[in-house]
Amino acid sequence: MRRYFRLHRIFIVQYLKRLMEYKTDFLLGAIGLLISQAFQILFIGIIFSQIPNLQGWSFEEIIFIYGFSLIPKSLDHLFFDNLWMVGYRIVKKGDFDKYLTRPINSLFHVCVENFCVDAFGEMLTCGLLLGYAIPRLELPFRWYTIPLLLVVVVFATMIYTSLKIMTAAISFWTKESGHITHMLYMTNDFSKYPVTIYNRAVQAIITYVIPFAFTAYFPASYFLTGKDPLFCIGGTVIAGTVLFVIALFVWNRGIRAYESAGS
Amino acid sequence: MKRLSRFFRTYRPFTRAGMQEMVAYRANFICFFIGEIMSAFIMYFVWKAVFLSSDSETFMGFTMEDMVVYLFITFLTGYLTYSDGAFSVGMEILDGSIAMRMVRPCSFEMCFLFQELGNRLISMTMIFVPMVAGVEIYRFCITGEVRFNLMYFGFYLLSLVFAYMISFYFNVIYGFMAFFFKNLWGTTLVKETLVSFLSGGIIPLAFLPTGLANVLNFLPFASLSYTPVMIYMGMYSVTEILWRIGLQIFWMLVMMGLSKLVWNSAVKHLSIQGG
Amino acid sequence: MEKMIYVEELRKEFKKIIKEPGFKGSVKALFKPNKEIVKAVDGISFEVPKGEILGFLGPNGAGKSTVIKMLTGILMPTSGKCVINGQIPQKNRKNYVKEIGVVFGQRTQLWWDLALRETYAVLKEIYEVPDDQYKKRMAFLNEVLELDGFITSPVRTLSLGQRMRADIAASLLHSPKVLFLDEPTIGLDVVVKENIRNAIKKINEEEGTTVVLTTHDLSDIEMLCERIVMIDKGKKVFDGELKELKHNFGNFRTFAFELKNEHDFDKLDYRMKYRLTDENFSIEHDKTSVCVKFNADRVSVEDMIAYTLSVVHINDMQVKDVEIEEIIKRLYRREVEV
Repeated sequence: MRRYFRLHRIFIVQYLKRLMEYKTDFLLGAIGLLISQAFQILFIGIIFSQIPNLQGWSFEEIIFIYGFSLIPKSLDHLFFDNLWMVGYRIVKKGDFDKYLTRPINSLFHVCVENFCVDAFGEMLTCGLLLGYAIPRLELPFRWYTIPLLLVVVVFATMIYTSLKIMTAAISFWTKESGHITHMLYMTNDFSKYPVTIYNRAVQAIITYVIPFAFTAYFPASYFLTGKDPLFCIGGTVIAGTVLFVIALFVWNRGIRAYESAGS
Repeated sequence: MKRLSRFFRTYRPFTRAGMQEMVAYRANFICFFIGEIMSAFIMYFVWKAVFLSSDSETFMGFTMEDMVVYLFITFLTGYLTYSDGAFSVGMEILDGSIAMRMVRPCSFEMCFLFQELGNRLISMTMIFVPMVAGVEIYRFCITGEVRFNLMYFGFYLLSLVFAYMISFYFNVIYGFMAFFFKNLWGTTLVKETLVSFLSGGIIPLAFLPTGLANVLNFLPFASLSYTPVMIYMGMYSVTEILWRIGLQIFWMLVMMGLSKLVWNSAVKHLSIQGG
Repeated sequence: MEKMIYVEELRKEFKKIIKEPGFKGSVKALFKPNKEIVKAVDGISFEVPKGEILGFLGPNGAGKSTVIKMLTGILMPTSGKCVINGQIPQKNRKNYVKEIGVVFGQRTQLWWDLALRETYAVLKEIYEVPDDQYKKRMAFLNEVLELDGFITSPVRTLSLGQRMRADIAASLLHSPKVLFLDEPTIGLDVVVKENIRNAIKKINEEEGTTVVLTTHDLSDIEMLCERIVMIDKGKKVFDGELKELKHNFGNFRTFAFELKNEHDFDKLDYRMKYRLTDENFSIEHDKTSVCVKFNADRVSVEDMIAYTLSVVHINDMQVKDVEIEEIIKRLYRREVEV
């Protein structure tokens, strides 16, 4: 385990060295994410200029949930972005061979090879939104709020990452699966708003099938109200764990089915 | 006439190639499409919640029905007018294969255009009819009357063609510029967000402050999406429609001219780069 | 002798979906795919003793790379067994790959945007090479592969030959016991090929590294390998020493000469004279130059020369052992059984 942390650090350092060569590109990526989030917030702002609340949710609460949703999303983006490439390119071109000839875990290796600093754009947005919302809300704060938040963030990130691992692993059988990852990944946007605005079917899907609701709305609503910790926090932990176990299983089965490419 | 038929004969293979490519990758396309349309459904639920939370039947002049039509037709229009020729141009400039395009006896951007048209033709058949039908059925269920208007629909189709042409040339220009950066992903995200906002893809222009909305209405971006969608919804009178389409044609010609200019300077840049 | 690689009845099958043309075909393929099983490797067995350089030969699509990928733990065999350095590659992969080095000529394992030295620094960590050993190792690799000139350059700026040397060094950093080289000289010019061959030879001699090498270039084989395994269509067609192959192939000679007069060619009729069939004889000519390949067990070299001189006037002549290319070509065409 310590060895893996050490390796991770070394990879990040190498990545940052590489980044120095492409400074403008990094800035553009981060700015792009910042701008695209800013327009979404503008949209929410315009809505709230006309209505006092959104089905009982105040502007600050909506902003809090929205900002919260960006924590696991940006972390997953920062550390595990290379999984996209597995589904789009690495397996199809046979470049996965390399990871299998190294004496470290292939999933770990493929993940740490890229460290996507574009995610800082999302993190900045996230910080601004939470920085705006938190002082304006009267959040129930207890001694265990911060540790609990850290735990939730870890498991919520695992939900994102596990879904990406699972769908990326499909490419071991089909050669290409980036579009499947895309399809499932896009449902994460549902988690930016309170799930109470959706109909039953959508609620059921994002709670039990593709449990993105546990990456933002449920934990965020616990931190807002202090109610239902068992479902809101426990659910996130369970969803993250279950998905991660399935993802590892699918990944390992996938490696056995990996057929490489060409000659 | 003869020249025209020759013109089409030259580029027909590109269209066919574009169609075949689309057919071959249709599973990818469908997955991608489902992922993308998710955002329209999220907006639908958000608007539903907005209307439920609001005391009035309308939101800044839009009814819920208007809003739904707006959302989905905007999505459809955006999808059909989307052009990624820019990406291909950028890539080909980067890896130098653009030289191959330059030695062929056909216009460089026409090859892209016709290839993409073939692509669009297939995606049209897959998503256009179901989406328009879905929107109209929804309207019928909500209002109890047939709101579909053939004349507006015809104008919409015409406006859609010009919207696509503007989008195409705009993206060719962008493609030529973008190869200066290596992170096409980042620059493209910036571009797409800005274009989406300026063309009313995120918020209907009518919801913006009047001064800003007026300016944006004249910019080429409104021609990309807002104009055809408003025509479809029957928000414009016939005179206004003709006037708007005229504006679209104007912007199309401007974009064509600009793309020529950028192309010429890019070629110069290219010949300096290659030793 | 101690066995380093032991392969028994190794098989790999791929399922291939056959799609009928047209839209109907694609719908059908979606619901009831028409699968065909392709036997890429069909029951191959061989052994490699410690410290040997084995040449692994075969035409395109013969299954060479598939075998290498199974031996390196990348692919799961459908059935059969391979044991390398006392381990089964797929069983404890992470442990197994510490002891092997792999180079795929057509793709690099170096980090594209980084200076070459950085790649080695990262690999040092991945393979847990201790500092002092790393220093010694780099000095050795530097000497053998001459990395000094470009070790600080970004990998993307390296020439193909430099990149290949760098890749081989990368695969040797952790002093593996077995080195797998898949097409290590592909696309390189003659001088660079020569350098790389010398380096491989030196590493094999100095460290006793067992090497398995696939190649298209038969001069690689002639330079480096005493023993070769040849496969075709997933099956082993030859396993033995290079000398043996040449011997089995028959005592073939090449007899080349220049005619004084172009039209004299028609006068030559070796087939009639010595009753030679296609198996034992071939002839090519281009204007005045003639090249005859024949089995010296059937006709002696002296007879051939004597007959030729008696029929035509010649300027220049040369008799050589037949080249290995010729043997391989015939073997692929199944003109000789081994």
